[in-house]
Amino acid sequence: MRTEKYVGMIKRMDWLLFSAMVALAVASALFIYSASYHGPGQPIKDFYKMQMVWFVVGLLIYLAVSLVDYRLICQWATVWYVVAIGLLVLVLVTGQMVYGARRWLGWHGFGIQPAETAKLATLLTVSYYLFHHTLQTRRELKTVWITIAMMSVPFVLIMLEPDLGSALVLIPICFGLMFVAGVRVKHLALVAALGIVLAGVGLPIMWKSKENRTGRRSYQKDRLTVFFHRDYDLTGAGWNLNQSLIAVGSGGMTGRGYLQGTQNLLGYLPRSVTPNDFLFSVIAEEEGFVGSLVIILLYAVLLFSGLRIAANARDRLGMLLATGVVVMLFFHIFINVGMTIGLMPVTGLPLPLLSYGGSFVLASMTALGLLQNVWIHRRIY
Amino acid sequence: MIISAPSREHNPRLRTVGVIIASGLFVLLVALWRVQVVRGGDYGAKQENQSLRRIRVPAARGEIVDRNGVILANNRPSYDVAIYLDQLGRVSKRTNIVRVAQATLGIMSAELGMPLTITDSNVLSHYETRGPLPLPVWRDLRPEQVAAFAERASNLPGADLIVMPVRQHPQGSLAAHLLGYVTKADENDEEEIEKFYYYQPDSVGRQGVEKACDEYLRGSPGGRTIRVNPAGMVANDLGEKEAEQGARVMLTIDVRLQRIVEQALAHTPLPAGKQLRGAAVLLDVHTGEVLAMASLPTFDPNIFNPGTPAQTIQAVLNDPASPTFNRAIGGRYAPGSTFKTITLLAGLETSVVSPRDTVVCTGSLRIGNWPRPFKCWDHNGHGSVDAYKAITESCDVWFYEEGMKIGVDAITRVAAEFGLGQPTGFDVGNEHSGLVPNAAWKRAQGDRWREGDTAQLSIGQSSLLVTPIQMACVAATFANRGTCLHPYVVKRIEAADGQVVHEGQTDVRTHLSAKPDQIEFVRHAMLGAVQEGTVRAAQVKGMNVAGKTGTAEYDTKDGRRNRAWFIGFAPYDDPQVALSVVIEDAASGSHTTAPVAGEIFAQVFGKGTKGTVAMESGDYAD
Repeated sequence: MRTEKYVGMIKRMDWLLFSAMVALAVASALFIYSASYHGPGQPIKDFYKMQMVWFVVGLLIYLAVSLVDYRLICQWATVWYVVAIGLLVLVLVTGQMVYGARRWLGWHGFGIQPAETAKLATLLTVSYYLFHHTLQTRRELKTVWITIAMMSVPFVLIMLEPDLGSALVLIPICFGLMFVAGVRVKHLALVAALGIVLAGVGLPIMWKSKENRTGRRSYQKDRLTVFFHRDYDLTGAGWNLNQSLIAVGSGGMTGRGYLQGTQNLLGYLPRSVTPNDFLFSVIAEEEGFVGSLVIILLYAVLLFSGLRIAANARDRLGMLLATGVVVMLFFHIFINVGMTIGLMPVTGLPLPLLSYGGSFVLASMTALGLLQNVWIHRRIY
Repeated sequence: MIISAPSREHNPRLRTVGVIIASGLFVLLVALWRVQVVRGGDYGAKQENQSLRRIRVPAARGEIVDRNGVILANNRPSYDVAIYLDQLGRVSKRTNIVRVAQATLGIMSAELGMPLTITDSNVLSHYETRGPLPLPVWRDLRPEQVAAFAERASNLPGADLIVMPVRQHPQGSLAAHLLGYVTKADENDEEEIEKFYYYQPDSVGRQGVEKACDEYLRGSPGGRTIRVNPAGMVANDLGEKEAEQGARVMLTIDVRLQRIVEQALAHTPLPAGKQLRGAAVLLDVHTGEVLAMASLPTFDPNIFNPGTPAQTIQAVLNDPASPTFNRAIGGRYAPGSTFKTITLLAGLETSVVSPRDTVVCTGSLRIGNWPRPFKCWDHNGHGSVDAYKAITESCDVWFYEEGMKIGVDAITRVAAEFGLGQPTGFDVGNEHSGLVPNAAWKRAQGDRWREGDTAQLSIGQSSLLVTPIQMACVAATFANRGTCLHPYVVKRIEAADGQVVHEGQTDVRTHLSAKPDQIEFVRHAMLGAVQEGTVRAAQVKGMNVAGKTGTAEYDTKDGRRNRAWFIGFAPYDDPQVALSVVIEDAASGSHTTAPVAGEIFAQVFGKGTKGTVAMESGDYAD
């Protein structure tokens, strides 16, 4: 009986959304392989195999998350939120130091990034919080402040790792949720203005004090300088952006061919971060604008399916969850692709499903599972 | 079941989110279009620029051979120990390349027992300008050093034995001045650097045939295209264009004759304490081909190869005796009595002199109001002298008197017909045109031409200057009975594919305007000079030689010196070769150059000299 029910639910899945996801996963394995390929006879790292393992694990989570009614999941929002905060605190205390930041929990190779769970937990919690307000209370400024407060705890903890990029993702998620929940635009604008002023004053002070403390120029400041001055320090801080631009640009219309991207082959694209942060550059170099277009279209399918699901959700909770997931994915896509061509500053935000990395693959598939969930449960039986 | 359910609220803000996302994706696509399609070419070029490198590969220099194909210059392998900077292990930064390289070199130096001469800046500049190429550390190893390296090579990572072509002159200093030498070309050739990222220079000829035929010998360089990684090290080879070997230059000289001439010249009998400096040119009288050309002192062109200490090269280049200077074409000397052949021919041609004209020589002659009398070399006087005896005995007084009658204009005109005062057109090296003085020239010097100048000119003194190759041409012209040829030494140039790109040709310069019997008279007098006159030391058993010696006096800081000359040809009846010899600081033509000439002719024709005719010192001064 129960099995029949689940099979029926799977049958009701949004197959277009699922197909786009699978296509991106296949592209991911192919191009992570390409990014690890450094010429004939050279050893190839196992990244692509690992990624496939993550996809298989992710698929199980995806199915689990899509089948259990999202209302049931959200009833546990407080628990998810507390657990996520706990993990964030734990990583600050016991996390492994990698490249000067504590972002990893666990054993080497098999760690998780609590920042990813925190994104999802915050999404759930804020959605659940906003769902519980009447139309009237949602229009009060107080709601905005409480939402900001809920976001601020993980935000500050992630900033402390430090992982500016992941922390910043929380802002569009929460603003997006508040926006579709019906919070007054006036209030949102007010808070946004305040935030910008705060960042404009706060970040330079933070960098300054860090520079005084460590005697080193902050890499975040370098990245911003690179963003505004394309030719800044091409052999140092500006290297990655410059080489990424050359990779994407030299791909031309149809690309140099699979496994033929010299920027990656010869190591002009930095080998340590190419499979994660600059995977799009590899695709763009090898498959050209046509390849870029296909990837963007696959993402468009993902995002607009998400919005369709939001519009067709059974209730506002489903609508909020779906919108949150769409905003979160969109923000990652826009920042990452924008970064490879200098449209956005260099941050470590990965590309959903494509970039190498277990935590984010699992987080992305969980988020897509939620979308599927809202779709499957859009009707009352 | 119907898709829409009534509980669903219509949310216009969802539409706004959709619009924002659609515009975001659209912005990305437009930006990607701009980078990939609109500016794709620029980025493609940038990418090539940073990863493609063209390396110039110099061509093997062409051979130089003598007329029989005997090799005079070719290439030999030089075994150099070099290090590949990209194989020295993990090198990521500029600063530690020097440290890593020097550490490796230190070990190698200790292992091989060879002193280290590479500086930090050598390593750094090599890394920056030609990173993927091997950096030569020790050049031109001796066989035992090669063996020592080979034994230890497996323990010396990044080090390798490379073989570089080095110019070699297997005959050593033989014909050194004619062949010249090579050095490495300027590494900063702007035009070539634009075409190639890594520029490996050719060898460039600096003198002689190496310089004159450089364009042919050089060949055309090949190239390699490689991809480099961000550290500038080779990632892969994309293609290679083979260099084209330079052309083969065949000279007219004959190694056997060249050796004869050089050895005879080197054994010139000299008064004690004199340094041997001089030149000799042997011509084929029918063609104008140079069969041998020698200049002393000489040098070994092989020293200009890499591996020779700079001091050794500098010592040769700065030697006051100028061993690299080719005296055969660049040395200017007064011809002395050898010029009397020309003065006599001018007299016969203008009919001022008849063969039977006699002058009584008393040992000296007063001319105009010169304070001192003009002396004959034989202070006792020759007595009654006719034109024939004037040549065989080389009587100065006869030429003073008759020369003044002939006049400066007639003498210089005939001298010009022989090509004096102008370059001979010799095809290799910087020859000097010499000087034939006349009234106009003297005026330009701020003086006026006097009778005494004509008298001096008649015996080959005054300000008259000639080169050994010019005088060889004078001798050849007499041998040819009046046909003056351009001398040349490049017989043929063949490209690597065997195609002949240049062929030396006999080129008649002038025909003397004198009548055949007049020329014959002078020739006959030259035969007499060898058979019974002042040139007896040049006699050869079983062959008639015609010739004329000369002793030109010149003043130096250290007193008066004599330049000894010989010009002549053999065999007299059917001339084959013409010869000129000059020795800078000698006793006299009769004593110094005549025996050298005799030796050369005897050897060339495989005959013996008549040693019995060696003259006693002081017998003849001319």
